[in-house]
Amino acid sequence: MSADSTALKRRRAATAGFHLGAGLLATLWLLPIVLVLVTSLRSFDDVAANGLGSLPHSFTLGNFRQAWVDGGQQRALINSLVVTVPCVLITLALAAMAAFALSRYEMPLRRTLLLLMLGGNLLPPQILLIPVSKLSEIMGIYDTLPALVGVQIGFGVGFYVFVLHGFMRAIPNEIQQAAVVDGAGPWQIFWRIILPLTRPALAALGALAFTWIFNDLLWAITVLRSDTKMPITAALIGLQGQYVSMWNVIAAGSVIAAAPTVAVFLRFQRHFVAGLNLGAVK
Amino acid sequence: MTNLQTSRRRFLAGLGATGTAAVLSGCVTASSDAKSPATGPVTLQSNLSAPQAKAAMEDLAAAYAKKGSERVSLNTVAAETFRTQLPTYLTSANPPDVYTWYPGSVADAYAKKNLLLDLDDVWASSPDLKRYSKALNSLCTSSSGKKVFVPSTYYWWGMFYRKSNFAKWGVKEPKTWDEFLDLCDKLKSKGVAPIGLGAGGNTPWVASAWFDYLNIRINGAEYHRRLLAGKHRFDDPEVRKVFDRWAEVLPYFDPNGTAVAFQDATTALLNGRTGMMLIGTFFADAAPKDALDDIDFFRFPVIDPKVPLAEEAPTDGYFASARSGRTKQVGDLMKYLATAEAQEIYIKGSSGTVLPCHPDAKDAGTPLVKKGRAQIESAAEITQFFNRDSSDALQPTADTALTKFLAKPKDVGSILTTWQRDAQKIWSA
Repeated sequence: MSADSTALKRRRAATAGFHLGAGLLATLWLLPIVLVLVTSLRSFDDVAANGLGSLPHSFTLGNFRQAWVDGGQQRALINSLVVTVPCVLITLALAAMAAFALSRYEMPLRRTLLLLMLGGNLLPPQILLIPVSKLSEIMGIYDTLPALVGVQIGFGVGFYVFVLHGFMRAIPNEIQQAAVVDGAGPWQIFWRIILPLTRPALAALGALAFTWIFNDLLWAITVLRSDTKMPITAALIGLQGQYVSMWNVIAAGSVIAAAPTVAVFLRFQRHFVAGLNLGAVK
Repeated sequence: MTNLQTSRRRFLAGLGATGTAAVLSGCVTASSDAKSPATGPVTLQSNLSAPQAKAAMEDLAAAYAKKGSERVSLNTVAAETFRTQLPTYLTSANPPDVYTWYPGSVADAYAKKNLLLDLDDVWASSPDLKRYSKALNSLCTSSSGKKVFVPSTYYWWGMFYRKSNFAKWGVKEPKTWDEFLDLCDKLKSKGVAPIGLGAGGNTPWVASAWFDYLNIRINGAEYHRRLLAGKHRFDDPEVRKVFDRWAEVLPYFDPNGTAVAFQDATTALLNGRTGMMLIGTFFADAAPKDALDDIDFFRFPVIDPKVPLAEEAPTDGYFASARSGRTKQVGDLMKYLATAEAQEIYIKGSSGTVLPCHPDAKDAGTPLVKKGRAQIESAAEITQFFNRDSSDALQPTADTALTKFLAKPKDVGSILTTWQRDAQKIWSA
């Protein structure tokens, strides 16, 4: 009886400890986000007089207006979406087709191709900045949004093929054989059998790709130079002055810039977790 | 089936070959002397991305359009992006025409690579530029004797403090080094960190102001410039003297000096946690509006009265790309940017703490700005700032050395040896 109750007590203590610890960790995790949200609602004079870390002495929504209108975030957000949405769709379409061919058919050199794609991903992008900017100049597309779309597709596709290949390889061969017996060609097998089965992985990759491309700054400033064409990330650092930064406006701009990715993640959250699990456990 | 395979392969091979050929031929055209088109508005690439400065530049572009038949298309890029991308802009086949940047050795480094447009004609034909001071004249001349730069505004550095705080502590502006040490002593006894710094975060370069000022006060501006150009060594006894002086005031530095960035250091100064700060006038932008009238500064104390009085006054302005095809329009714009009217428009629109380069142009007229102008006009010599008198490549070596010195002042010998070795790599590169 007493042994039972001590065990119960111990279990309760463990549960309480776990919740307390996890709660603390979660708070620690959310603290920077809360700080940004609070800063975005303070006035510049308040931040300058009391410092970033102090308790707020003011409340204003003007920072969002200033970032949106004066900071040019409205146009920048449109630019970002014009680049990101086609990029995600085209990369996933290309990667799915390539992964299908590489995983479901005995192609010559497929190992080499896969290793090449993996190798390409291991290359740091910094060493390619100058070649990319010169190449886009020679091709006459420097300082245009299609150049950025092209670069993003080129650099993304290898990784997505690699992930989708691993996923598609795990789909049982019998399913495909049954389709072949029923007279389906490669295109039909891809479109009606493999692609629907790959949906969780596609959704997960779609959410990831959206975040990566949307949050990219490096390629944008490499191939673009007009402020009217810059995406949201470049507009965000544009809010920083040469010497002095208005942290309240920057915080408001960050909230605006983060909103689309957060929305995409919330929408695809379920697929995202499922997709990662399915890829890992065979 | 086999037939189809080969033909497809051949097709792909053909495609690859054509592509490579196109790229190669493209390379050939790009490396030849390509120029931007000769018509259309002049493109002005600006790094003035702070909201107020950006708006002031837009005013300037609008005023220029009203003035005559020529137009300028302003393109504002984030200051940080601009700094990293400037070499790419200048070397691209179709570059922007005019850029905001710095004169002196920074511009000269680009002029040596033949990337800057020769502005001799502009200087010769502009009635405004003819009247610019001799110092500005030589500052805008490259080492090959050509004019490559048009200056517009400058700002100054000084020991900034809050008037009400100094009154509360019962202290006054010092003139000499000994008075300065007394002041520090007094502030420390009142529980205030006498000297704020702000060399933490992403502004380690602020510490270079101390090196610059101590060097021009002890060894003079001429020695300072030659040192930064690689004609003296950082492990020379002259440089050692600079650090010995610095070590005298080091106990009075804010212990958070290398932990917080200069904007947070400004807050500490305004709140009276630190007494004063060696900083440029741009720091006023980081102060709340109601504190602006309470801000004052004094000249960096004189150490050796025999050394000609020098002050730091970094100049800003414009240069143009050598590959610009619109040379006539660029000249017209440059002449306009050199007028008193253009500089007054910019000063009015921006935060107003900068001074115009044109001798007749009016400044913002506040007591602070008048005092700043008097400080510069009484100086025998003008220096720019560490990175502007040397190069952007040398600045990180100073940041490393000075940060180390602030942490471990006793290791000054080895720090200077390392600094010299790092700097040598950059000078000989």
